[in-house]
Amino acid sequence: MKRIALVLVLFAVSWLLLMGDAVCASKTLEIGALFPLSGSLALLGEEGFRGVELARLQKNKAGGVAGAQIVYVQADVSTEEAARSEAERLIEQKNVHLIIGTYASSRCMAASEVAARKGIPYFELSAIANEITGRGYKTMWRTNPTALDFSRAQIDFIVGWLAPQLKKKPSDMKLSIAHEDSDYGTSVAASFSRLAKEAGVQVVSVEPYATNSSDLSPVILRLREANPDIVIGVSYAQDAILLSRQAHELKLKAPIFGTGGGHSLRSFAEALGPVAEGVFDADFTQYAVNPDFCPGLQEFVSLYKEKYGEPPRSGHSLTNYIGAFVVFDILEKTGGDMDPEAVYKAAMSLDIPLGKTAAGWGVKFGENGQNTRVPVFITQWRGGNLVTVWPKSAAVTEPETAKAQ
Amino acid sequence: MDLCLQALVSGLLMGGVYALIAIGLNLIFGVVRIINFAHGEFVMLAMYLTYWLHDLYGLDPYLSVVIVLPVMFFFGAAFQRVIVQPIQSTSSIMKIFTTVGVSLLMQNLALIFWKGDFRTINTSYSMSTIEVFNIMISIPRLVAFATALASIVVLYFFLKYTSAGKALRAIVEDNSVARLMGVKVEKHYLLAFGLGTAFTGLGGALLMPFSTVYPTVGFTYTLLAFVVVVLGGLGSMSGTFLAGLFIGVVESFGGTFVSPALKEAIYFGIFILALLVRPQGLFGMGKGTEEVGLQ
Repeated sequence: MKRIALVLVLFAVSWLLLMGDAVCASKTLEIGALFPLSGSLALLGEEGFRGVELARLQKNKAGGVAGAQIVYVQADVSTEEAARSEAERLIEQKNVHLIIGTYASSRCMAASEVAARKGIPYFELSAIANEITGRGYKTMWRTNPTALDFSRAQIDFIVGWLAPQLKKKPSDMKLSIAHEDSDYGTSVAASFSRLAKEAGVQVVSVEPYATNSSDLSPVILRLREANPDIVIGVSYAQDAILLSRQAHELKLKAPIFGTGGGHSLRSFAEALGPVAEGVFDADFTQYAVNPDFCPGLQEFVSLYKEKYGEPPRSGHSLTNYIGAFVVFDILEKTGGDMDPEAVYKAAMSLDIPLGKTAAGWGVKFGENGQNTRVPVFITQWRGGNLVTVWPKSAAVTEPETAKAQ
Repeated sequence: MDLCLQALVSGLLMGGVYALIAIGLNLIFGVVRIINFAHGEFVMLAMYLTYWLHDLYGLDPYLSVVIVLPVMFFFGAAFQRVIVQPIQSTSSIMKIFTTVGVSLLMQNLALIFWKGDFRTINTSYSMSTIEVFNIMISIPRLVAFATALASIVVLYFFLKYTSAGKALRAIVEDNSVARLMGVKVEKHYLLAFGLGTAFTGLGGALLMPFSTVYPTVGFTYTLLAFVVVVLGGLGSMSGTFLAGLFIGVVESFGGTFVSPALKEAIYFGIFILALLVRPQGLFGMGKGTEEVGLQ
């Protein structure tokens, strides 16, 4: 008797659960969201999540996607191991059919590999390592620029503005690269070296270092020996600060030209004060940019301030915000269907011209899943603000000659 | 030539900071015989404390030592009393699990309370240097170096001439015999943990003018402090100091002349070599101390 009762109770409970799920499913659309929210990458990981969260709230307020409210199933990918296992967990246990993320390239590589194996669409919204869209996965898309796009913008700026400014021919320009040695830094350094060679600019030294170093004086000393015209820095947050600090202390003559990440954080300018002044950076679209080129940017900034009580801490939130909307657009086209075939068809047919999103980007995916309409702008620290100075269409002011740190 | 000298000076200055952080660990490791994987988090805590004292009350990081030292002393003593004492007699594996747990707990509490932001104190002297024969010497690093040296001297005399110091040394050599001789071992554990944590805190405070604090900053320092302590020899303060300088210089030369990416590999290589050849450390107190806490 007891046993029968137990079976009945179990049956009733599971029926309720199933029904509950079915009821929810008709009203919500679940998307897996992988970002590093603890560990050393937590700051920009969280900044990225804020972007997708704002996009979700705005979209839901306007009625959601294909009539369904969007819900994120969140996971913290603080390590590569966690990225792998959390992707596995979301897909197997949480029954997630589409994943967005990830900010850190190494985490994306790990998590998207799992998703690809299981045929789950994966949208990368803010990691830049070239390899992410270079693996031939049919279910992998990236809405943001790649390391190659970053390097292309930098070389374009060096050849087009910096060399004439220094009264040198591009072939006489000497560059050094100092990069942190994970996927991100290595990928950027490699694509920069390649493009520099194509453009005929000399790379005189490449210095990899560990991002958690407490002393970068060896890097600076080697750079002093190489004596370049400018140093391309590829750094996360604290190493960007340390590199500039020690460059200043050890009197490195060459200015530093950052590549995304650490050099565009507000904490970079706060920590360095006048030493940050004039530092160039190539990064995702920042906030001091030509508003005509970035429709909707002001709206994003005011949404952000309203929700988080402070101005955006870097361009990462905007980048993820744009990326999330691209994903919503695709799902709108499929009518909320997350089947890889349907998503593929919708993604490939998506066509947004340049200068039509809040970051100034457009959307057109190439065969490898990479968005091809994502120009990278050059910014410069001026009076504690990161202002866009290149190319002219996006710039708010003219670039100024960079000085030594 | 200039490059060599500059690398040497930079290495020595950084080594001083390593030594300062490792002295605290040496006291704890040597006396209480616990492998404290949360040591780096103690550095992190002291750095945050210094940061907030500056941010909220405008206190200069060097002045804040007056507050940071006693706070860290009591934090360390309480840590010993509440967390370490109950597991004192268990296996060392148990202690490792516990302290690794505490380390993760502290990192994540810091992340919750203070967010992942990278926080820096910007003082007027943060980036000031003096130039001697073309060699740049960073002033805040020099201050940290001098303080490390002074701390070693103070600690040396404390251990050599006071009765509490003598008791601590007796415990390092053989804690059962020390107990038989009437040393109140548990009380001295509290003292050792408190003092060790206070010195670590001093290291954290002095790091603040030229480095950045964030929740996971401690990890590097934990490993580094262990290398320095084991290399210098358990219980030997001067050994720790010299080993700190040695690691600093090896790191700087390896980074400058081989590759910055390999500097950790080089000193860990030397560390392994030292363990194989002279397990009690370069200045260890001799037989029995090479067991590095693993009974």
